Amino acid sequence: MHLIQRMKIWKELRRLEQRVREQPSPSTFVDLGQVYINLDLHDKAQRIAEDGLALFPKSPELRQLADCARRGLRQKRLTELRAKLLRSPTAELYQEIARLQVEAGDSAGLHETCQEWSQLFPADAGCWVVLGQARLVNFYRDLSAAEGQEAVACLQRAVEMDPQAGSARRLLGEVLYRIGAVRASLAQLEELQRCDPADAEVAALLEHVRTLGDRGSDLETLLDEVEAHGSLQHPSLATAQPAHADAAMARVREGLGLVAKLPGVRKATFIRGSKALVKGAIRDGRDPFLRVVRVVAKAAHRFSRRLDIGSANKTVVDGPFGHICICVFGEALAAAQCDVDADVTEVLAELQELVAGALHVATEGGA
Amino acid sequence: MSRIREAVAQVRRLPSVRGAVVLTNDGLVAAAELDAEQNSEVIAGLASYLLMTTNRSLGEGSLGRCAQLTVHATNGKAVFVDVGDSFLVVLFDQFAEIGPAQMGIEAAAAVIRSASHMA
Repeated sequence: MHLIQRMKIWKELRRLEQRVREQPSPSTFVDLGQVYINLDLHDKAQRIAEDGLALFPKSPELRQLADCARRGLRQKRLTELRAKLLRSPTAELYQEIARLQVEAGDSAGLHETCQEWSQLFPADAGCWVVLGQARLVNFYRDLSAAEGQEAVACLQRAVEMDPQAGSARRLLGEVLYRIGAVRASLAQLEELQRCDPADAEVAALLEHVRTLGDRGSDLETLLDEVEAHGSLQHPSLATAQPAHADAAMARVREGLGLVAKLPGVRKATFIRGSKALVKGAIRDGRDPFLRVVRVVAKAAHRFSRRLDIGSANKTVVDGPFGHICICVFGEALAAAQCDVDADVTEVLAELQELVAGALHVATEGGA
Repeated sequence: MSRIREAVAQVRRLPSVRGAVVLTNDGLVAAAELDAEQNSEVIAGLASYLLMTTNRSLGEGSLGRCAQLTVHATNGKAVFVDVGDSFLVVLFDQFAEIGPAQMGIEAAAAVIRSASHMA
């Protein structure tokens, strides 16, 4: 690219960046991201897509841009890794390549990589774990007996080759109890617990599996039954805990009630993922307060991460509307809108209690 | 312009303040007092995006304009004050108490506001 071309592109970029700032819309973000992709600057395109999605989270064009940027980054990384592999192949390089291929859904490429990996490093169980994981994804999606058999065979081989392979044993234990082979699953999970007695997640899983009924150990028949019925025999640990989740939400609701009763507080919310609990003068899910809270929390988080000052855990917006106080801890977010003369420090302290309590409950429940 | 620079320098001298910058709404640096390792252009880009996003979401909800935004992060704090056509960004370390510095920040914001009007 000669100098004049570079100057033209630079000028175009400046114009598009200004447009994004002055007239933010999905199309202005996409135009800018597209130029970055054409220049092979996929990391910048991904950043633009993320910035755009913070403002327009439902935009399909911006999601496509983010996917395209991610694909480009993945491809670039794959090329780098393959070049390294040619110079000095290692099991770690194969593992990273396989991980990228799983992400991209490239099953043909994954098989090729795993074949090479097992030929060059026959004692490494890693390729069987990755293959097992990829097959498991297909099995859980389609409930196809053939995929299930392949997944179990790969994971069993990984466990035989490396009895300390925790992830393989865990995946095997999980798929076995889901199809009804509870006794076989317990053997795997108990062995897993012997390797790491302090693992609370394994303890919770074991407790859950011990409550389930065994349907035999003929895996072929069990997998055929799953395929014929179109459903798994037993629920996962996460879906089997609705009662615990209900109790946790009741505690959060109670905490939110306390925040809403503080002097000067008009509205309060607790958000985790796509779910929100609200108290106070909130009409519906389209209340501007909820949108402001989500957008500002996300933008503040990005600001502090990029400025290298860690995670933004408390943010306060002041204006003619009073104060909007936001407290974030992990996945949980609590926020309140209060009057100008409200005690912001007290409101923030209560919001912090609420999110910290919610996180504690989530850890307790293994959620 | 010298009054704005002077006000920014005064903010920089407040306890626990790591840096202060005045930015126009479109992200240009009007005055900055920062440590050598801090890049005013990076801060300008990030701050401009944060304020733009915040004001846009407030505007969409007919809540008005943000007068001040305070961010407490794990390793630092930042205060953004609206001064008309531009805004003042003050960066603190993580142990800072913003309360005692608030008066100094407000005084500097008033100076910047009046200097901008005169300009």
